[in-house]
Amino acid sequence: MGVLRRMWLTVASEVSWRLPGRPQRLLAAFALAERGSMLDMLAAVEATDRRELRKKYFLHALDEGRHALVFAERVRALGQLGRAEAAIEDSGKLVEAGIVGGRTLFERLGEPEFLTFVYVAEADAVEQFRVYLDRGLPDTRTQDELRGILKEETFHVSYSRAEVDRYRKEGLPVDWWATRLRLRRLWEGWLRFSRDFGAVMSAFWLGVLYLLVMAPFRLLARLEPGGWQTPAGRPGGDPLVAARMEG
Amino acid sequence: MPTYILGISALYHDSAAVLLRDGEVVAAVQEERFSRLKHDPALPVRAARWCLARAGITIADVAWLVFYEKPLRKFDRILSTSVATFPKSWAAFPRHMRAWLGDKLWLRGNLCEAFGVRPDRVLFCEHHLSHAASAFFPSPHRDAAILCVDGVGEWATTSLWRGRDTAIEPVAEVRFPHSLGLYYSAITAHLGFAVNEGEFKVMGMAAYGQPRFRAEMDRLLKLDDGGFSLDLDYFAWHWHPSQAASPKLEQLLGPPRYPGTPFTPRATPEGAGEAEIAASQRYADLAATAQQQIEEAMLHLARHAKAKVGTEALCVAGGVALNSVANHRVAAEGPFANLWIQPAAGDAGGALGAALWAWHSVLGNPRGPALERADLGRDTPLDRTRELLDDLGARYEDVGDDAPERAGDDLAAGKVIGWMDGRCEWGPRALGHRSILADPRRPETRDAVNVRVKYREPFRPFAPSVVAEHADEYFDIPAASREPARFMLSTGPVRESARATLGATTHVDGTARVQVVDAGTSPRYHRVISRFGAETGVPVVLNTSFNLKGEPVVSSPVDAMASFVRSGLDLLYIDNFRVERPR
Repeated sequence: MGVLRRMWLTVASEVSWRLPGRPQRLLAAFALAERGSMLDMLAAVEATDRRELRKKYFLHALDEGRHALVFAERVRALGQLGRAEAAIEDSGKLVEAGIVGGRTLFERLGEPEFLTFVYVAEADAVEQFRVYLDRGLPDTRTQDELRGILKEETFHVSYSRAEVDRYRKEGLPVDWWATRLRLRRLWEGWLRFSRDFGAVMSAFWLGVLYLLVMAPFRLLARLEPGGWQTPAGRPGGDPLVAARMEG
Repeated sequence: MPTYILGISALYHDSAAVLLRDGEVVAAVQEERFSRLKHDPALPVRAARWCLARAGITIADVAWLVFYEKPLRKFDRILSTSVATFPKSWAAFPRHMRAWLGDKLWLRGNLCEAFGVRPDRVLFCEHHLSHAASAFFPSPHRDAAILCVDGVGEWATTSLWRGRDTAIEPVAEVRFPHSLGLYYSAITAHLGFAVNEGEFKVMGMAAYGQPRFRAEMDRLLKLDDGGFSLDLDYFAWHWHPSQAASPKLEQLLGPPRYPGTPFTPRATPEGAGEAEIAASQRYADLAATAQQQIEEAMLHLARHAKAKVGTEALCVAGGVALNSVANHRVAAEGPFANLWIQPAAGDAGGALGAALWAWHSVLGNPRGPALERADLGRDTPLDRTRELLDDLGARYEDVGDDAPERAGDDLAAGKVIGWMDGRCEWGPRALGHRSILADPRRPETRDAVNVRVKYREPFRPFAPSVVAEHADEYFDIPAASREPARFMLSTGPVRESARATLGATTHVDGTARVQVVDAGTSPRYHRVISRFGAETGVPVVLNTSFNLKGEPVVSSPVDAMASFVRSGLDLLYIDNFRVERPR
């Protein structure tokens, strides 16, 4: 493990686990990520042409589904859930399933790069969990669960590494893919930060707009009354022309 | 060259795609069945891709893509409401504007990019007109009143139409923020359930309570002059970015129920203390009151529809049309001889309505036959399933066309089975294509399926499926409920004589959301139930959707296998394959 990455994980874990309410949110995020991984792996079961890998993907998916339940259970056990509760109860919050533009992670990456992704993600997760355990975080019961999960993650690392090694021998640029995946994560982190920053800025300026521009119109605007109303008139003429209109 | 029309509903919840070929439904499926994200609101790219593949065409062959809303009218409502609720809407305004200016306002371009169609091929149908078309055009009726009741579309939250052959004319509408759907959702949130997901749970919970909060809750919802209005001081959906209720609602109804709190009313007080029982009973009574209000409101609206339109048939659509208890009351006590509800009555159904509206009302084509079946979704060729089972090392047997009879025997032997057969259902109900089936006679089966298989709340009831020939022996089904019962959209009384027999599917109030299974439209499922009936003397099975808590109904054999292994199901049938649990 890189020294820098370990330092980062150490600092981040101390902050993440010790702030009030953060452990629940972190565990809820893990639950969602594991559930998303389960969906990615099930999509791979469906899409792969390498039939010998199907069972491994399937078992991997079942592990991830179980991990999601374990993390969700720990969130509930720790109590004081708030937003974390909503995240684990509401599958609509699930944004980690890797579907972009209607294509699953497997479809977008192709099998060799997908397996490289699996290897990198699983190896990183193992490192992350080990740092938590080394530092005695977050609590005894969750640590016990993390140890169990680590064993299964080790299986995921080993089978995906074997496949990555095989692709490397075939001359495929797996090391470049691994580097690119890590760079992409950094880039996505930057994009997340930019998006959040942009949201704050746009909220500010839209708030200013709201106060300055919208306020005068308040005098004219009224909410609709209850009860039946006469429907607004529909445009006449060619129905196809009207159907093309967005308003 | 046939004319293909692709209907799309998306960007709120339950997105879906529907493909018509010369007005006939080739395929209809929700995006969640592919993405595995329950109520997935994303543009249904995968669903649409599957629909095209099913028809053996590409997007270039599609004449029109029809979206189920008019986005600019919706934007107008959001903007106008933000101004009208100034300054309370200070937090909602930036959030709405970010979403709209950043994405939703450019819908035509987004649709063209996502689906690969030309801009001039994209049409837009009003939200409630999509609902109305989804209810009327697939119905067997040529002249009918159409009642649409949901949360909100552009402006309308409730609308009344008259459908005559290929034309649908507006009669009247109730506008945002007065909304029955949003009212029920606010109560759903107060009772600790997720909005757009937990409304069915409120319906189930209501049976444990008494409507003793009418005095309080009648201040919230008033029926008048054939319509209704809300006291908006108690609600916040028109000005708050995420909350449905204002603090006044909590003052009126007491503290909301915390999500996940055990529900132990007096009818099922297992291991609970008096305070817990009293709290649960209070929530049950709130649910019962809200449910009774919705039922009375639907009856009130139906009577107004009859007075205004005067037809013999009523078609109902919108999310509130999935309230099966209210549907039963409209059928049993309402003024219409016939009631018709399309299986995907909620927002997903808007895709069907939008496409049919384009075909009939815009392009002027004549009506076709009525929609009689709901198995319009995804299926998998047998050889692909066999290959998967081999690859996973599953313990399975190819039982060929005897699968229904083998399944009936297994049910009679007390097994709880996953039953995946043919194409998946259109809409939220499992109707014998993606179902978990069990013996309906044993009350303990209900607990076993709830706790061991589906991991869901123990108070929720299970539905029975009965063969049409014997339906009246077990259930009191009014004539007007016959059609809704085909798609499991009506909840009515179980006959007194059958309640003890159907212990696992009779709810605590003596009702059941029955599905009447017809041999003509669901032949294999009919055979399963018939075989079970031949073995046990009871031609009824317990039928619940084949999914685990928080997940959409299974769609592919991979989904089915994953749910099978992770649940306590005894057996799994995938078409002709009988799969046993792994050792």
